[in-house]
Amino acid sequence: MRLADTDTRKGSPALLAVLVVVSLVVTTVYFREGPRGPLRRARTMALAVSRPLLAVGDGVTAPFRAVRGFFAGMGASRSEIETLRRQNAELRTRLASLEEARQENDRLRALVNFAEAKKFASLGARVIGRPTDPWIGVVTIDRGTADGIRSGMPVLAAQGLVGQVLDVSRHIARVRLITDQESGVAVLVQSTRAVGVVRGSIDRRLSLDFVDASTLPTVGDVVVTSGLGGVYPKGIVVGDVTDVERQRGDLYPTVGVRSRVPIDLIEEVLVLIGPSVSTGGGGE
Amino acid sequence: MSGVAGRVALGVLLAVTLQLVIGSHLTIAGVVPDLLLVATVTVALASGSSAGAVAGFAAGVLADLIGSGPFGASMLVMTVVGYLAGSLQASLFAEGWLAPVTVVLTASLLKEASYGLLLGVLGVGGPFWRTLSRVVLPTAAYTTIVAVIVYPWVSRLLRRERSVATLGRL
Repeated sequence: MRLADTDTRKGSPALLAVLVVVSLVVTTVYFREGPRGPLRRARTMALAVSRPLLAVGDGVTAPFRAVRGFFAGMGASRSEIETLRRQNAELRTRLASLEEARQENDRLRALVNFAEAKKFASLGARVIGRPTDPWIGVVTIDRGTADGIRSGMPVLAAQGLVGQVLDVSRHIARVRLITDQESGVAVLVQSTRAVGVVRGSIDRRLSLDFVDASTLPTVGDVVVTSGLGGVYPKGIVVGDVTDVERQRGDLYPTVGVRSRVPIDLIEEVLVLIGPSVSTGGGGE
Repeated sequence: MSGVAGRVALGVLLAVTLQLVIGSHLTIAGVVPDLLLVATVTVALASGSSAGAVAGFAAGVLADLIGSGPFGASMLVMTVVGYLAGSLQASLFAEGWLAPVTVVLTASLLKEASYGLLLGVLGVGGPFWRTLSRVVLPTAAYTTIVAVIVYPWVSRLLRRERSVATLGRL
């Protein structure tokens, strides 16, 4: 399209109308096409093309992120250190008793010939791209189909669940974070065994929906994947309950959850590349 | 390729490169500055409505390609915003930086609010007040702050016929 200076300054409503119509047609095509449609394939190609730029950005900003992490770590006060020491002591005590229970569990499993949940092979990946606009909760990792990554695979960090592979190119993939507003994870509350769905939101907060009011969780309860649905294996930590609110007349309580993963600072992740269907396996 | 088409291509390609290389790492509390919008407004103020619409459309295509929202939503919103920003070109004293930056703020508010509304219509939007307070207003503010810094330089690159005062020269 040739744009003459005089025409462009004056403004052409016809040109605007054409571009608006084209945009609307593209949006319609996007919602009607399948998972291998031309627009989705174009996105996958753009993902492959953007890899060198993302790698440059990751390299350029690495020193600044390191400085930010250093100063963030300096913020721990004496009281926080004391709290962590106390928690550490409590956890060591609990670990000892859990080890006892684990060994007993192994013996009983062997006695009744109960099938062991499948172990999952995992692959480490570096986060090289962060969300390019505030509407999406997606990060980019430096692994792709060449490494065995497929769309839908669960992605973890040391502290818990991160998300799920969304698009994959040969050497790069996009991961939808659990905090994204379109994300939903089938979970259960570890203490009460109440099932529900953890959803992300526009402001990246997590909420636990569809929990039965008769099994109300309490603040501090651990939320783990339930294994229902076929994506996430059972037992991955999703986060901790931060607040519980129940209004009269509400069918379900409002439950807030905080992920243990520092999503904005995350640098490395693990992709579960093994089968996600196990004796108790799955997710939404 | 005419001068205007060159400006559009240069501005949009520069913006998408910076958005991918640096923009995504400038996140503060989940908010990212919109460098594609800054480029669109700069082209629109330099070359008028039609160039603004084309720049917005091209920027929207790239935003949709590198994003994961509904394809076409950014194209639609950025096209309209580019056209409206360009319509101010004749009546704006664009040699300074304050008026263009005000246009960036208004355009950013319009773009984010329209995009949020469009997502709501398409069934993937969030609650109104949370969207407004957590995304629309912070993104518009952050983009404007970035525009204060980068607009004079981008504008000099894209508007060779007129100089633009930078903060340091005022």
